[in-house]
Amino acid sequence: MTTSPLVPLVMGHNAFFGVDHLSAQRGAARAASFADPIRILDVIRDGRALGAQGMMMSTHDRAAGLCDLIRSDAALSADLKVYPLLPYAQKYVTRANEVGMVNVVLDSLKGTSFSDKMSLFLQGSRGVLARDVNSVLGALIRLELKPFRGLQMPAVFLHDAFTDLALGLGLKDIFEFYMSELDRAHGAVGAFATKNLPMLLERFDAWGLPTPTVMTHFNKIGFHMNPSREDCEAAAAKYPAHIMAMGTLASGFLRPEEAYGYLGGVKGIESVVVGVSSRAHAEQTFAAIRTHMPVMTGNTVGAV
Amino acid sequence: MINVAVIGFGKLGLLHAGTVSGLAGSRLAVAVDSNKTLLNALKAKMEGTRIYTRHEPLLKDGGIDAAFIATPTGTHVDIALDCVEQGIPIFIEKPLALSGEQARPLVEALEKRPVANMVGYMGRYLDTFAKAKEIVDSGVLGPLEMLRCSMYIGQLFKAGKGWRYDKGVSGGGVLITQNSHVIDKLVWMFGDVDWVSGQTNSLYSTEVEDHAHVFFAFRNGLRGFMDASWSERHYRTPTIAIHVQGRNGTLDVDDDSVRLFLDAKSDAYAEGWSEWRKPDLYRSVPFDIGGPQYTLQAEEFLTAVRGGPNPASDVRSAYAVQCVIDAAYMSAERNGAPIRIAEVMA
Repeated sequence: MTTSPLVPLVMGHNAFFGVDHLSAQRGAARAASFADPIRILDVIRDGRALGAQGMMMSTHDRAAGLCDLIRSDAALSADLKVYPLLPYAQKYVTRANEVGMVNVVLDSLKGTSFSDKMSLFLQGSRGVLARDVNSVLGALIRLELKPFRGLQMPAVFLHDAFTDLALGLGLKDIFEFYMSELDRAHGAVGAFATKNLPMLLERFDAWGLPTPTVMTHFNKIGFHMNPSREDCEAAAAKYPAHIMAMGTLASGFLRPEEAYGYLGGVKGIESVVVGVSSRAHAEQTFAAIRTHMPVMTGNTVGAV
Repeated sequence: MINVAVIGFGKLGLLHAGTVSGLAGSRLAVAVDSNKTLLNALKAKMEGTRIYTRHEPLLKDGGIDAAFIATPTGTHVDIALDCVEQGIPIFIEKPLALSGEQARPLVEALEKRPVANMVGYMGRYLDTFAKAKEIVDSGVLGPLEMLRCSMYIGQLFKAGKGWRYDKGVSGGGVLITQNSHVIDKLVWMFGDVDWVSGQTNSLYSTEVEDHAHVFFAFRNGLRGFMDASWSERHYRTPTIAIHVQGRNGTLDVDDDSVRLFLDAKSDAYAEGWSEWRKPDLYRSVPFDIGGPQYTLQAEEFLTAVRGGPNPASDVRSAYAVQCVIDAAYMSAERNGAPIRIAEVMA
């Protein structure tokens, strides 16, 4: 196994950006309460003080403002690990509805240093090579990661829709490229979000790729776990992987005690990402994680 | 092994390609798209996948067992007719066509030469709506009396670009695009519509409507309205909600939950409030890219391709949806005058 880029306890970003997988209405209400980025910063400071060492952050349009605030806080920028999740798919989906996927890519890269090269890519479209596709992807990654410059960034996660699409299509090359590009150009581990953990781990093993860093759903009721909760548990125990569990509360469906009572018994999990919306909420959730997952957290989570 | 051709490599074409390849027993064999840059990029990444810029030469060359058609709406029927002529099973993205009239030759061709066929109203496979359908079908609500429903998304706050906003290619605005899902659900849950009265409004678009308000009278006596907009603030993703009231209770369903209230219990459902949230109803799937609904849908189509029963979400039912949409547009042009669906179908 390689050294893990994951810290044990990571704060999620969904509440800040209006994403709520249990209730769209609740999501919108939360986003409104976090309209002022200073309020988000307060919650991040609280979470850090309570023992969370990292933060997951999608490349949402509002991420840039939040990154500026983190950078402006000497203590946070020095030791908070930020895990970007890219791309923020919704903005591309909406644009793709209008202008098509190829044009979304072209428009996004307009004005970047890459755009000149790209026009060559398009003129030569009869003979597009795999390396040309990769250089477009590389430019998109650079663009998405721009707001995070200067922050502690041990790993960058690829959105599950893209990971799982590449997985379905059997594109080994995309996985290889993503990991090497993140390492080469950004000094970070190329990590993957997925809703199909067993298939991802089996394919990495069969393709002979390095140990993957993965973020995937783990919860007692098997919500978003495919092909089944049992298969995900077995795969996590069997294959080498650095796994960050997400969706541990099944979008607020499970109480923390129940959720981490289950998760503490699952083998192969190194890290948990959990949404925090207030100090009281973080205290309660982190306490349940400390109680039930002492091995993973080395009893240090929450040490202030 | 089922060799699949995906015709039209937009978002949904990609999703279907990934899904059939991720499922055991099927694979993407052919990609068809008019955009050469995209095709060449695909070719560079996917050895062994044949590429074509048009579907006709592909059909001549053969070697496929099923086609997923995910091109702009106006082109669906012609491509599907060519496939049916060759006896190739077809999956067509929603909406089926620009209008009922455009779709009719396909309905007739399938009557003469039945092949497995499906239209991509994947909303039927969302767990909450599947549960709501089960409740309605049980009859526990009693005679249905009143309906209100909505579909909102905040995607358009200035004039839009691309084929979706070009009426000749898309057939119309919000009513026929995202909102066709709602009309499909209504017909699926409550049966045939007798007549509609519609109003539409263009807020930002010039050719198509951004807002639609439709009153429905179903054959079973249920009446009520639907509100649809793609220019509604505060909605990050398309959000559908349906409320129906019967003599014995109420049912509320959206993407997140199902809430049932009953005056009197039945064998299957308790008196008073019952609630099912998404995690209660979740079913794991063998492989998930954009949500389990797409996998469940693809599995049902592939089962039909293998000789199993044809999916309920077929061309015939999508044609009925199309005729309801036509009637709503026709009514809106006449300032809400009631239009019978039978008139449109005739």
